[in-house]
Amino acid sequence: MQKKYLIGKKAVVLLLIPALILISVFLIFPAIWVLKLGMTNETLTGIKAREPDFVGFENFSRVFSDRFFYNALKISLLFVFGSAIVGQAGLGMILALLTYRRSRRLKTIVQSIVILAWIIPEVVVAYLWIAFLDKDFGTLNVTLSWLGFEKINWFYNHPILTIVLFNTWRGTAYSMLLFSAALETIPPSYLETADIIGTTSWRKFKDIVLPNIKGYIFTDFILITLWTFNVFTPYLLTGGGPSFKTELLPIYIYRNAFKYFKIGYGSAISTIVLLINLLLAIFYITLSRRKKT
Amino acid sequence: MKRWICLLIVLLLAIFVVAEKISIIANAIKGGKNTQVVEWFEKFLPDIEKELGIQVELIQTGIKDEDFKARIVLDIKGGGGADILWIDGFWVPEFAEAGYLRPIDDILETVPAWKYYYDSMKAMGSYKGKTYLVPASTDVRMIYYNKELFKKAGIPLPWQPKNWEDIIKTARIIKEKLPGVIPLQINAGTEMGEATTMQGFFMVLLGAGGNLYDWETGKWIVNSSALRDTLNFYKQIYVDEKLGDAELQVSPGAREKTFDLFRQEKIAMYVEGTWMYTSVLNPNNPSWGFPDRDERIGWAAMPGRGKPGDPEFVSISGGTGFAVNPNTKNPKLVAEVLKRILYVEPQLSYFTLKPFVSPRSDLADSCWTVNKDRFIAETSRVLVKYTTFRPAFPVYPEISFQAQLLTERVVTKQMTVEQALKEFATEVTHIVGKQNVIEKP
Repeated sequence: MQKKYLIGKKAVVLLLIPALILISVFLIFPAIWVLKLGMTNETLTGIKAREPDFVGFENFSRVFSDRFFYNALKISLLFVFGSAIVGQAGLGMILALLTYRRSRRLKTIVQSIVILAWIIPEVVVAYLWIAFLDKDFGTLNVTLSWLGFEKINWFYNHPILTIVLFNTWRGTAYSMLLFSAALETIPPSYLETADIIGTTSWRKFKDIVLPNIKGYIFTDFILITLWTFNVFTPYLLTGGGPSFKTELLPIYIYRNAFKYFKIGYGSAISTIVLLINLLLAIFYITLSRRKKT
Repeated sequence: MKRWICLLIVLLLAIFVVAEKISIIANAIKGGKNTQVVEWFEKFLPDIEKELGIQVELIQTGIKDEDFKARIVLDIKGGGGADILWIDGFWVPEFAEAGYLRPIDDILETVPAWKYYYDSMKAMGSYKGKTYLVPASTDVRMIYYNKELFKKAGIPLPWQPKNWEDIIKTARIIKEKLPGVIPLQINAGTEMGEATTMQGFFMVLLGAGGNLYDWETGKWIVNSSALRDTLNFYKQIYVDEKLGDAELQVSPGAREKTFDLFRQEKIAMYVEGTWMYTSVLNPNNPSWGFPDRDERIGWAAMPGRGKPGDPEFVSISGGTGFAVNPNTKNPKLVAEVLKRILYVEPQLSYFTLKPFVSPRSDLADSCWTVNKDRFIAETSRVLVKYTTFRPAFPVYPEISFQAQLLTERVVTKQMTVEQALKEFATEVTHIVGKQNVIEKP
């Protein structure tokens, strides 16, 4: 059977051109530029700012022997797993399920509160969290000491937990909205039938809800994994410290490129992070394709 | 109505085109960091503007030194930036090599005051035979102490330790008598950046007769007993006896936090530079100033380790100054503005706002005779003869970061002294090359 297209092939190509130009200018060209910079020993100050040398893959091999790179990679993976997969997607799913088939008002209230955390500007959010968690003047610690508990230096004693909780709080809205919308696509008759035969909630979730929204979950995972992998906001909370314990990959890049002015080295790390991002995307896409077939 | 708006816009544009503008950037902000600098500029910039018929704009920042440096570097690399840059003197070598500073020997020929500058200060502002920076002020380093806390702990005043052991003994007394007070703040860790190398690490290292750079052979020292003793001192303070707060050193905004704690009288001794007294603790400083600073805060010279052959006292000096952006469109006008900033009168008015150790002889004399700032006069008299400068080479900031890491790894217990030293040696060797490092006994 011949498919009928709305517009001809030529028109499609023509319409795609502007988008392709934009992608080339803002994505492909910078990526190639970063790769090129990564093969030089360019710095922002000193003689190498004026006369950088081509060093080939030396920067890359240095990155792979740099203990700070493995530190950052480890923290980034923990951060993604903790705050995106478990935190945002988990909490988002729970919130979506709790408000599913409930009154409209409850849904509006819950969603508004969660979305609020998502739309406040990052700098403001960071300030709020510092004001909440600081050891000396933070609201949480002041309250704790009123109640007779010992003050806790969250940023020092639980640095990763702090940024994981922070990012979960910050970004749950997206997953929640996506899952809420996904749940609406399940034909009500499925669940009503299940209700009539008295199925448990868990069985309903496992056998009806999950298979129906699987595709959406994968989409959610792809997006939040990539976003979280590249997020920089924790820097505003911890500066990557104490002692590099919250130094995510983007912060590690920033430190090398803009604090220690090693632009070439920073670009090499950026290229590696770019490749990791691509691998993650490919991983999810193949996984979701396999499920479909 | 529309016509009026058009006219207004045209007029405004005309003003921008006609009035020439010179901009100055400094790491200062009114009511915050280096507020005195802004007050000073506000005082005399209008006169310069009137006299030269131009606009002079002061760009205020008031951020961490590292961030300020990044901003200036990116400004200049991007082809812009302020015309006159008030920057740290130890950035000169790496900036000059990158072509970020305009040699100003031609400008200085027209500046009458230039002949009064001390040679050591001229050296701070020059690199490979060219001058890039006019030093604005220099400083010395010492230990500040809170006299009230010392009295409460029963420590006799005036206090002057003779060796490291004296400092540790005093700290022990404070720890025992005044719970909740941090006995000693000696900067450690990467969070405080250069403030760790300069105020903390170097002050200890010099006291053990060590240095990061061997001036005789022109090589970087990657291992020495002085380095080891320096780290053991840090270990004793922060790890073994907890006479300092290690958590504080690595928390975000650590430096400002220590200023806060010192202001709240929760830190008894603090190793810092002249700037601490004249700017941070200045009674006019709304954030950290002590109204009764002169009565409440004392200072002592930082002693050496105390072994035979060690220096009696130590200090290290830095300084800031004015440099010129190579992107400036009007070097002649910049020269005129710079010349007027360096007149004796504005310099003296700056001195009254924020006293400093003067880099020039004419001012040094008038400062001490006219203004009689006791603190500057005494600290200069006692400490200038002991003071030294950092090894100002383009690669210094990278070595400095490794030194900060050294202290951080030890005070946070991530590594033992030996492990940290080994790591330091590997990294420094990698940075400068095998032929440029040396081990000392």
